[in-house]
Amino acid sequence: MVEDKTVLKVEDIYKSYGTQEVLKGVTFEIHKGETKVISGPSGAGKSTLLRCINLLTRPDKGRVWLEGVELTDPNVDINKQRAKIGFVFQQFNLFNHLTALQNVMIGLLKVKKMPKEKALEKAKEALLKVHITEDLWHKYPAQLSGGQQQRVGIARALAMEPVIILYDEPTSALDPQLIGEVLQVMKELSSQKVTSLVVTHEIGFAISVADELMFMYDGKIIEKGPPKEVVFRPKTDAAREFFRRIAELYGEQ
Amino acid sequence: METFVSYIPYILMGLPMTFLLLGGGLALGFGIGLPLAMGHVYGAVPIKRIIDFYVWFFRGTPLIVLLFLFYWGVFPALGIPLDAVTTSIIVIGLRSGAYQSQIFRGAFHSVPEGQYVAARAIGMGKYQAIFSIIVPQVLRIAIPPWSNEYAGVLKDTAICFSLGVLEALRRTSYVAIAINEALLPYIFVGFLYLVLTYAGTGVLNRIYERVKIPGLVGRL
Repeated sequence: MVEDKTVLKVEDIYKSYGTQEVLKGVTFEIHKGETKVISGPSGAGKSTLLRCINLLTRPDKGRVWLEGVELTDPNVDINKQRAKIGFVFQQFNLFNHLTALQNVMIGLLKVKKMPKEKALEKAKEALLKVHITEDLWHKYPAQLSGGQQQRVGIARALAMEPVIILYDEPTSALDPQLIGEVLQVMKELSSQKVTSLVVTHEIGFAISVADELMFMYDGKIIEKGPPKEVVFRPKTDAAREFFRRIAELYGEQ
Repeated sequence: METFVSYIPYILMGLPMTFLLLGGGLALGFGIGLPLAMGHVYGAVPIKRIIDFYVWFFRGTPLIVLLFLFYWGVFPALGIPLDAVTTSIIVIGLRSGAYQSQIFRGAFHSVPEGQYVAARAIGMGKYQAIFSIIVPQVLRIAIPPWSNEYAGVLKDTAICFSLGVLEALRRTSYVAIAINEALLPYIFVGFLYLVLTYAGTGVLNRIYERVKIPGLVGRL
């Protein structure tokens, strides 16, 4: 029964903005406990793809299933389904008027309608998982570093007990010295078998934890496979060029 | 001088009326302004155009013209002649609603778009996201510009003098006639408005300091 283990299935997604075709038929699936990474040059459609998965953007064509429920079905209660999909943003997008703790709690209270005591307990648990310690719980986003904000962002997603977490370039807006703490948390979650789909250029992360690396170019996934395979033995010129540039930037691997 | 002093309580007795016009007008304006701002930010194009027209009309017309128009024109024509006080509150409210809608609209636009997207991403519906995430921030951000509106409407209440509403200014004018002396009464009432402006904006500033979003000041 392969279907039971499939958490997310994306089938032949197309999306255009005006005459600009951003996604040109993307298909893949993720099984329970897997971490998959999507990499590729800017403008390849990576962020659009993530937003098409939880329907923050509606695809023009194609279908998305979450645990067997078709999200692209117009009759589906998309808010209810979205609550099962964690989303971590490049710009963190924490709620500015709420403390770290409240940021994590609000979804539990307003969306999951959890009693306050239980939400508080869940939120604390999630924050500790991302190593946000008690001294930071009552700080507001603007009082936290970028790395701390992003970890709160991950906790906010995690607390909802999602069936999958989508990461949209989670470290791209961070100063280099703050990237490590966020990647560390993501690695830990990955090894705890939290199903994840990560858009990132952090090839080291992909190599150390991803089950599969998908290389996206011009609206399509043109290569996929074990991360080392794709990074070190790319089959296409586009991928070769991309990973060479990344290697140049980071000085090998 | 002594005669004037004995009339001061008579002028001060106009303050409850001034406060009624001020409070009623601001409250009605808030009730109109916030939904209008929301409609303009999130609504469809025809809704935006209707709101634009409303704002254009009420911001572009002198208050005294609106007061006369509604008191002697619109309400009687509608078959519901209203007394001067009710008319004044409604007209001040309608007009303040136009101004307040602009204040709140600016505040809505200063909340980063990503906040709304993030709220939807955790499963909130459109209205839930707006009311539990965006509006609480809007109300905080809007306090400083809104204190301007307080100061403006406070002084607008004096114009209701023209419909015969017995507020602070009208009472002052009676005193000036009674004692045949204009300087002191009008200095006094002018000073009264100054104090009320100062006190009200001061209170609003303190509220703002208490509820403002920590660390965000200077970034907006």
